Amino acid sequence: MHRFLIVVQREYMERVSKKSFIISTLLMPLLMIALMLAPVLIQEATTPEAITLGVVDTSGKIFPRLQSGESVKFVEMAEVPSGTPETDDNIDGYLVITSDLITKGSVERIDLILNSTSNLKFEQEVTSQINDAIETERLLEYNINDLPKILDSVKCDVSLNIMRLDREDNDSMPTEFSAIMGIIMSMLLYFFLLLYGIQVMQSIVEEKSNRVLEVIVSSIKPTQLLTGKIAGIGLVAITQIMIWAVCLFVMSVIVLPTLLSPDMMTDIQAMQAGAQLTETADVELVSAMATITNPAFVIQLFFWLIIFLVGGFLLYASLFAAVGSAVDNIQDASQLQTVIIMPIIIAMLASTSVASAPNSAFVSWLSMIPFTSPMVMMARIPFGIPVWEVAISAVLLYISIFGAIWCAAKIYRVGIFMYGKKPSIREIVRWISYK
Amino acid sequence: MNILEINNVSKSFSGHQALSDISFNVPEGCVYGLLGPNGAGKTTLLRIINHITAPDSGSVTFNGHSLNAEDVNDIGYLPEERGLYKKMKVGDQALFFARLKGLSKAEATRRLHEWFTRFGIMDWWGKKVEELSKGMAQKVQFIVTVLHQPKLLIFDEPFSGFDPINANLLKEEILRLRDAGSTVIFSTHNMESVEKVCDHITLIDRSHNILTGRVADIRSEAGKGRLSLTFKGDGNALAEALMPLVEKDSMRRFETADPDVMRLRLKMLPETLTSQVIDTANRLVDIESFNRDLPSMDEIFIDAVNRHNLPSLPADVTSKNSY
Repeated sequence: MHRFLIVVQREYMERVSKKSFIISTLLMPLLMIALMLAPVLIQEATTPEAITLGVVDTSGKIFPRLQSGESVKFVEMAEVPSGTPETDDNIDGYLVITSDLITKGSVERIDLILNSTSNLKFEQEVTSQINDAIETERLLEYNINDLPKILDSVKCDVSLNIMRLDREDNDSMPTEFSAIMGIIMSMLLYFFLLLYGIQVMQSIVEEKSNRVLEVIVSSIKPTQLLTGKIAGIGLVAITQIMIWAVCLFVMSVIVLPTLLSPDMMTDIQAMQAGAQLTETADVELVSAMATITNPAFVIQLFFWLIIFLVGGFLLYASLFAAVGSAVDNIQDASQLQTVIIMPIIIAMLASTSVASAPNSAFVSWLSMIPFTSPMVMMARIPFGIPVWEVAISAVLLYISIFGAIWCAAKIYRVGIFMYGKKPSIREIVRWISYK
Repeated sequence: MNILEINNVSKSFSGHQALSDISFNVPEGCVYGLLGPNGAGKTTLLRIINHITAPDSGSVTFNGHSLNAEDVNDIGYLPEERGLYKKMKVGDQALFFARLKGLSKAEATRRLHEWFTRFGIMDWWGKKVEELSKGMAQKVQFIVTVLHQPKLLIFDEPFSGFDPINANLLKEEILRLRDAGSTVIFSTHNMESVEKVCDHITLIDRSHNILTGRVADIRSEAGKGRLSLTFKGDGNALAEALMPLVEKDSMRRFETADPDVMRLRLKMLPETLTSQVIDTANRLVDIESFNRDLPSMDEIFIDAVNRHNLPSLPADVTSKNSY
């Protein structure tokens, strides 16, 4: 077997047979889900208890229209309590509504006497309920026939179904959904580039500090060893993502449709076929579901994900390799490593801003520059970027990889025999020109 | 026949001259010692022979042809700075190195079983290297180096890190491999092992080859005209009388275990006859023993390095002035 392949095989087998690989493959999706659920759970945990509010309604018309909810509980009171509200009244505060309020043009201000802290949600709830009730009462004053019926029939809740003229399939996912997909994918790239890039660096530093490198280079060219190592670790990354992809594919194309209601499935299939939806459909949800349960879409997205994942990995792996070959131990690497991690973090931050303007000049440029393009482009793709734009970005990325690997190999060849003093960045750059 | 010919090899790293115009031949089937103080350029030379680095000028001929990348399969190299993957299992690791040297998996497994059984270390096969002691790891490293039965074996400071028992075992293995037909090059500071093991040597100092040849020839050449005698009597008178017969400053007097007996070492002038020295001594003192004085490799080493260093000092000065 070719020496290069022997190195690839060793790097691959040593890693995938490790317990840590199996555990991280299983735990990572759980971690991702936890990260997504965390904000919901935190919000849940911080929702304040309902405030019990006594209402003295002298008009007798408003109180029946008030509905107790999560943040407020309305209790009718016959009269204003003398002095401050007592705790044994089981109320936290009270307000007084007079008939004057319904009369148009009066001062629209209500005094709310409270025995505890207020909060934003409670205040919004109280004001909007009272406003609604007063508005309805005022409308009733006009004595229109069948008013409740009319009010019901004029209710409207518009959602946007965006049709893209610049795309052949002329529909696209709802923006909110695209944003979530984009963020998830650029997060995934962020994790992979860092996780596996650093593994390349650690592996080189380990060989160097173990002095096993001296033994190996008597059998194999340093360049072959370096590229074999990067390829082996890259295959581990691809293996991991393939495992997840298969799970996800099974989930979205097979499991998800069986979980959804039959009605919704009809809508989804209708949308996928380009037909009209039934009237009751929740357009946004249906179109989102139609997209992620569409195998063509999933495969296309996955294709680009692999292209940018492999490209980004190769680019960053060679940079991390250059750092690894320049130092003797992992502590010395931290400073040089910062220089490499910087663009990854910039790309990550830019990806989060893609949702607000997926075609802004800033993110468009970042999605073309090889150091940031993998993550930023992956964040943009769900918004429906023209294929030629994605392709140019990919081509630029892969061209720059050749340069990066060439430089890394040069640095590696010199660096692996350098022990002792930690070189400066300038010295490392000079190694590239060594014969 | 020479298995290895080094012809006018020079190499420099960013202004530092590591090797200048080194030439020597390694005959097939010998044990060849590469000697020299630290930083002389030995490791650089060994790396060139292993095709790890290329010389700036000069050439290396291996087994009759110009050294190329495939020749590394016929070379086994145990570097001075050596190590193994700590987290990898001993057996897997040995297989990995053997396959890098071109052995098939089956053949490598068969040979490894043989060696492991011979060294009595079969039960280490599934252990991780980090579980082994340093001496144990060195044994594994040695097996890995010789497993592919290379024509040329190169050991850089093989005895460093070995305890005396294992060092001796290693020495015996080296001789056994030579008897089995391999040529062995090793670099060392251990001069005693050079006298016992090496057939040929080359001494490198500050990038130059300053002494090369068969160990027996070098020693008898260096011992030419050297005499050692032990005696009872007036040492001062003897020294005075011998003065015109010996090279200037070559006489050294030593105490011996017996307080009455003294030892004198000297180097005769080329025209002096041994009989003249004996006659003179016989006249003045009571001779206990008299013999040719073969210098140890240690002395030859130090002497050669000193001789090389002294004249080079003024040369450096003139070269600097000429700029």
